[in-house]
Amino acid sequence: MTRRWGMAVDLDRCTGCGACVTACHAENNIPTVGSEQAARGRAMHWIRVERYWEGEFPDVKLKFRPVMCQQCDAAPCEPVCPTYASHHTEEGLNAQIYNRCIGTRYCANACPYNVRFFNFFNPRWPKPLNVQLNPDVSVREVGVMEKCTFCVQRISAAEIDAKAEKRELKDGDVKPACVQSCAAKALVFGDLSDPESDVSRLSRSSRGSKLLEEVGTLPKVAYLGREG
Amino acid sequence: MSESTPATGSMVEGLLRPLVRTSWRFYVLVAFLGSLVAAGLGTWAYQMYMGFGLTGINMPVYWAFYVTNFVFWIGISHAGTLISAILRLVNAGWRRPVTRCAEVITVFALMIGAMFPIIHLGRPWLFFWLVPYPSERLIWPNFRSPLVWDFFAISTYLTGSLLFLFLPMIPDFALVRDRSTGVRRRAYGVLALGWRGTTRQWHRLESAMQIMAIAIIPVAVSVHTIVSFDFSMAPVPMWHSTMFGPYFVAGAIFSGIAALIVAMAALRKFLHLEAYLHPVHFQNLGKLLLMMSLLWAYFVFAERLTTWYGNDSAEMNVFYVTQRGSFAPLYWTMVVCNFLLPLTILSIKRLRTIAGCVTAAVSVCIGMWLERFLIIVPSLSHKYLTYTWGHYRPRPVEIMITISTFAAMTLLYTLFAKFVPIISIWELKAGEHHVPAVSPLAAPQRGLRHDPALEETRA
Amino acid sequence: MNAVFALYANGDSAERAVNALRSAGVADEAITVISSEPLEHYEFGQMNRGTWIWYIASAGGFAGLAVGAWLTRMTELAWPLPTGNMPIVSWWPNLIIMFELTMLGGILATVATLLASGKLVRRTPRLYDRAVSEGKILVGVENPSCDTRAIEAALRPGATEVKRAS
Repeated sequence: MTRRWGMAVDLDRCTGCGACVTACHAENNIPTVGSEQAARGRAMHWIRVERYWEGEFPDVKLKFRPVMCQQCDAAPCEPVCPTYASHHTEEGLNAQIYNRCIGTRYCANACPYNVRFFNFFNPRWPKPLNVQLNPDVSVREVGVMEKCTFCVQRISAAEIDAKAEKRELKDGDVKPACVQSCAAKALVFGDLSDPESDVSRLSRSSRGSKLLEEVGTLPKVAYLGREG
Repeated sequence: MSESTPATGSMVEGLLRPLVRTSWRFYVLVAFLGSLVAAGLGTWAYQMYMGFGLTGINMPVYWAFYVTNFVFWIGISHAGTLISAILRLVNAGWRRPVTRCAEVITVFALMIGAMFPIIHLGRPWLFFWLVPYPSERLIWPNFRSPLVWDFFAISTYLTGSLLFLFLPMIPDFALVRDRSTGVRRRAYGVLALGWRGTTRQWHRLESAMQIMAIAIIPVAVSVHTIVSFDFSMAPVPMWHSTMFGPYFVAGAIFSGIAALIVAMAALRKFLHLEAYLHPVHFQNLGKLLLMMSLLWAYFVFAERLTTWYGNDSAEMNVFYVTQRGSFAPLYWTMVVCNFLLPLTILSIKRLRTIAGCVTAAVSVCIGMWLERFLIIVPSLSHKYLTYTWGHYRPRPVEIMITISTFAAMTLLYTLFAKFVPIISIWELKAGEHHVPAVSPLAAPQRGLRHDPALEETRA
Repeated sequence: MNAVFALYANGDSAERAVNALRSAGVADEAITVISSEPLEHYEFGQMNRGTWIWYIASAGGFAGLAVGAWLTRMTELAWPLPTGNMPIVSWWPNLIIMFELTMLGGILATVATLLASGKLVRRTPRLYDRAVSEGKILVGVENPSCDTRAIEAALRPGATEVKRAS
């Protein structure tokens, strides 16, 4: 059975700590752009924690929502890319092929979730920061779009290992960096085509809904709403 | 529409004078414009070297000044098509002094507009990947992408417009060739190809022009429709509108006529073409501009009423930010420039002078540039997730490149008027005969023999 | 290139000359009339009117349409990459490419026909006189097969000059 990778985010568990953001940066060689560029809206957080609040201090109610690429089944970012840099894989992921990208940024405009990011400058890792780069993930150059891949390098590595050891992938074998680092276990990752996997069961929860479902993108991330 | 033009001999002299005599003012103008263009090119090179981050682009406003300029210049390029092709097809005589001015605007505006999809790329040195050629990467362009449609549409339109401009220039090149000597004679001789002016050649040219006029109109409509598809194909609030195709085409023709009026007024003044470009030409174009202003207002009203009535929350955010939010000053300036001011000037006959038409036209150019900007940036900065709303401020590189494109347009136009007669001499002469199109004779055309009965059919 | 020709100041005298040539037995295909503007309101301006250019332009359009249909389908199938839940061969967007290439085909066919049938790119020298640019109309016969004196006699009335070229 072909896999369909998906995620579930339990908003009741999310504390807004931001460990997922940091882990994602570390795993995927995402550059930090610096405070001046971040103030101009160019921070590249493949996963971000959106923070909404109601009321005035001290009666403030905070809500946190981690948003990453929803790997939409009807992704609006895919048909608009002139060079097929953004396309759909057989396992249901929206792939971003850096080498094909010429930087038209149309995909970023088409994405309703604003989860696509552009390399405005050539990223630099002055020594010794270059030692921390993950060798499994390429470093992108200026002018190229990038976004969350559900840690496709970890998925591929697990699939290769399973094939070499002649066994099937079990639910929980693959953990993207954000899922691995979440202390509250708010993020769950797995195969949606397996009805018994954690992510499938959570997606069927009565608290579950999809983000911007009305836009028709068929996202594969289920958000479980807070109770109370 | 009868226009009295001077006798043929002095007409030709007058229209060839810019080719023959050059004042110092020409050199000063070319130097000034050339330096602005050079500055623009240098800025672009600097941007490519330092990285696209020099612009004001950010998340979520990933398109701004460059795409505004792209749509604006492609819109301006619709001047030539309307005037030349449509008026040619309906046999409107007053088009004759105006056609080449208009066609030149089209070609140069297209060339400038077509630069912007390259300037706005993150990796512009790879722009040729939009060309469908068998590459060693084994991959082809994605024909589902509106940007690839842009490439095909603009290439077709540019080819068509260049040829549409060039074909009627051939007899005029022959004229200049015959009156020149030495290097000029050989250069214009090459441009004139083998033109002699036989009846056969005139018939072929007129048939070709007829076909080109018929073909170029749907191409022009498709070009700006496809440019509008760059926006309407994306699920962005207030972009995903079915009306964008006709709305953009109407806006393009609107801004094209405005640009044409400005160009014609400048030519009339600086090349002393008062005898050929009469107030009636400006009044006719002014009436067309008025009509397009009303059409533009109609489209804007229909779009905004539908949005307001629909009350979709994401769309209403964009709606209100333009109507009474941070973009309101620009928005209402646009309404004044595109509608209120032209409506006032152009519908009052006493104000519809050449100066009045030029004022209205300049106002429309400003308003239409603002309109392109206000379609792009408010929508992108206010998409669905409020956490990701942003804003945009242009940076010096974008402003410099924008200014240099206006300088480039003026420079190209000035150089063209120096080397080619800006008014089509043979068409003007042919128009003086005031003869309706000759109806086809009953007898077959080939091998016409001398037939006394046919003498009466001669006009 | 051998020719006998004359220059005329206006269309009426040129018309008379053409008719005189016809009376002298010169076929229409052999008569050359050159002017600096199209003189379609004169009868001689109607010579050589028949043209295939409309059919050729349409054929060019069909060729463009075929190329567009083939190009889009072939490339979409060559390396099928699913995008946005759209079919691999998406005919809606392909129609746009097909339209543009249709128009391009028609335009290029028209221009090619003009260059070829107007004989606009020639190496061999052809009959011409620079006086045409001053507004004169040239009527003449290239490579005359019959008696050149009869032709000269036919051309002389009303002509400002009569010339020979070789």
